[in-house]
Amino acid sequence: MKDLYQDTFQSVEEIQKAFETHNYICNTQIATCTYIAYNLQKPVMVEGPAGVGKTELAKTTADILGVPLVRMQCYEGLDESKALYEWKYGKQLLYTQLLKDKLSEILAGAEGLKQSMTKLRGQEDLFFSEEFLEPRPLYKALQEEHGCVLLIDEIDKSDHEFEAFLLEILSEFQVSIPEIGTLKAKIKPLVFLTSNNTREMSDALKRRCLHLHIGFPDEKLERRILETRVPSLADSLRKEVVSFVQQIRELDIKKVPSISETIDWARTLLLLHTEHLDSDTVRNTLNVILKFEEDIEAVNEQASNFIKKARPYTE
Amino acid sequence: MQQTLEDFYKVVRSAGIKVSVADSIETSKTVELVGYGNRSILKDALTLSLAKTVDEKEALEECFEQFFTFNAFQKNTKSPEDAKQTGADQAEKNDEANAGANDPEYTGDLELAKMLLKKDKASLAQEMSKAAREAGMTDIWFFTQKGIYTQKIMDKMGARELNKEIAELGRGDCPSSQALAGKLRAAQKYLFEEVRNFVEQQLSMYGKTASQTIHEEFLKNTRLSNIEKRDFQTMHKIVKEMAKRLSSIHSKKRKREDRGQLDFRKTLRNNVAYDGVLFQTFWKMKVVDKPRILALCDVSGSVSSYSRFLLLFLYSLNDVLNRIDTCVFTNTLIDVSHIFDELPVEQAVEKIVYEIGMGGSDYGNTLLDLKDQYMDKIDNKTTVIILGDARNNKLEPQTDIMELLYQRAKRVIWLNPETESFWGIGDSEMLRYKPYCNIVKECNTINHLERMVDTILKVSAQAA
Repeated sequence: MKDLYQDTFQSVEEIQKAFETHNYICNTQIATCTYIAYNLQKPVMVEGPAGVGKTELAKTTADILGVPLVRMQCYEGLDESKALYEWKYGKQLLYTQLLKDKLSEILAGAEGLKQSMTKLRGQEDLFFSEEFLEPRPLYKALQEEHGCVLLIDEIDKSDHEFEAFLLEILSEFQVSIPEIGTLKAKIKPLVFLTSNNTREMSDALKRRCLHLHIGFPDEKLERRILETRVPSLADSLRKEVVSFVQQIRELDIKKVPSISETIDWARTLLLLHTEHLDSDTVRNTLNVILKFEEDIEAVNEQASNFIKKARPYTE
Repeated sequence: MQQTLEDFYKVVRSAGIKVSVADSIETSKTVELVGYGNRSILKDALTLSLAKTVDEKEALEECFEQFFTFNAFQKNTKSPEDAKQTGADQAEKNDEANAGANDPEYTGDLELAKMLLKKDKASLAQEMSKAAREAGMTDIWFFTQKGIYTQKIMDKMGARELNKEIAELGRGDCPSSQALAGKLRAAQKYLFEEVRNFVEQQLSMYGKTASQTIHEEFLKNTRLSNIEKRDFQTMHKIVKEMAKRLSSIHSKKRKREDRGQLDFRKTLRNNVAYDGVLFQTFWKMKVVDKPRILALCDVSGSVSSYSRFLLLFLYSLNDVLNRIDTCVFTNTLIDVSHIFDELPVEQAVEKIVYEIGMGGSDYGNTLLDLKDQYMDKIDNKTTVIILGDARNNKLEPQTDIMELLYQRAKRVIWLNPETESFWGIGDSEMLRYKPYCNIVKECNTINHLERMVDTILKVSAQAA
């Protein structure tokens, strides 16, 4: 297995092409960002609405580089013991129970508390060694022999305290474990942090990262994405679907459909053997792209208009 | 090129994006990596590493376009290409076009005059950028400095010598040198125009914040009633920034560990796995309540403009406040919370001030309304903020209701736009209400407001 930084990307175009071969169609900005992040070993903060391919970007990058992806999902209340490491208390207990006899052997002949303590101290600190350490995602990412892509998903859901804790890891790629010592990354992982903007991240964290914003793609790009993701969809229907979704995005609704919804919808239509969009199919399948009752109603009112605008491609 | 980048950082800073020294170092490394070869990649790289929000990205892209577009001396060329190299190409073409004209030959050795006569735009542009750098162009702050910078650049480019040359040429009788002098004079004028345009362009890039900052500082300390309508937009911006700062300070620590008390149930439950040995202990947590606010705002003519900004402030603090109920009054109390639910803050405030304002105030009657309609909603978690001048037009003040309010609410805060020395003079009842308030503060600038809100949030965190 090769290392993460063994053969570097030579240019932005190269990355874009590599992404394409892995079915991830992106604009130059995303490619530039990956290029810089990879060559300068800087973390990337990816922002944007849900479903535009933030997580997918990290996954694809890991695929291309041929290194494992370590993923950490953030949520409220996430703390060090769930993100970095924890002691295997149960195992420690079990071992102390099992080794009771051994312990009395070691301590045999000692007189008084003081002597037994000295004897015990003479032994290695076995119970607080890596043997009894339960590695969590961040620890794993630092330990990875050949480097890895570390995805810290939905960082905006975590608490302020956790954000501060991440700072050390993101700038030094090391953490300190009191019982063992400082753990330094063997090979710096390539870090992606994603955020849905539910809260503003601190300036300190932002400063350490490249800031990438992925918005909704334009019609052309979306068609290309659909082409690679749902290749068996007919050309004409693809154009209709994309045009329809693009029109919905201009409406003022609660949850605007993103690329992942477009892909889902295309797959649904494929399954239903649809040839062209018509008002019946649209009405029956709208719930694939829209997640709120009000939104569905709002779009239903406009549906025939949208279809009319989407159809001229085929007529 | 490092110099160019540093100039660009200056422009970006003046557009309101914070670029720290560390940022600029990192960005320089990034630029070193991607190089200057591809304009769009350079632009992407700069936006990726300098801008931290979507708004900043837009601002930065604008700066980029402005900064890396060089259009001095390019007015009559057809293509608006920006890079200097293409400028050079064009200058060459122009040269060829002009070569045929039978101009009187210039035999002097003044570089500037040669360039002007040759219409060597690329060299002129280059010369000008060099002169601008020497003159410290990037330090320009105010429009009043335009003249001096234009002069400085002209001097550095050799305008004085050019003047002498023109005078010399014009002195003689020789018609050809006369014609040459005329030509040079026209060219000199053209040069002056170009330099001044250039300076104006630079001012719009580098001087953007300086004048803005001064204006904002001034607004922060102006009495709210004196702020003019055209400045409302800026005020909204200031309020938003202040609110953002306050909420980032106060939004943390919603829970506090109560060290003294063991949460026995949670501890037991979590330690079952360890055979009941209490490895991990859990302590009882206290959730610190976000303050709940009831704002009573006087919207009578004299104080409505203060109410406007208080409301704007409070509603910008959504993150750190639990619930805001708002009532406005002149002589009766009107609940306006629903307007805030329906409309964005700015519009809601406008609507309230225009539709409900006016009329003389009657605090006594308002307090009676409060007693009838709201007293049961006020509990020991509610902070009541009253904004008004307490000028009761000689009507019954109803201080006993104030006393009741004081007993029920967590805190009663009275903000008075009048200076303290006016309290109690004339029909002001402030001194009679004062004993029943936890805090009474003079509050008539946006800075006062900020301090006030800060205190409310701080006290609420401590009290919990």
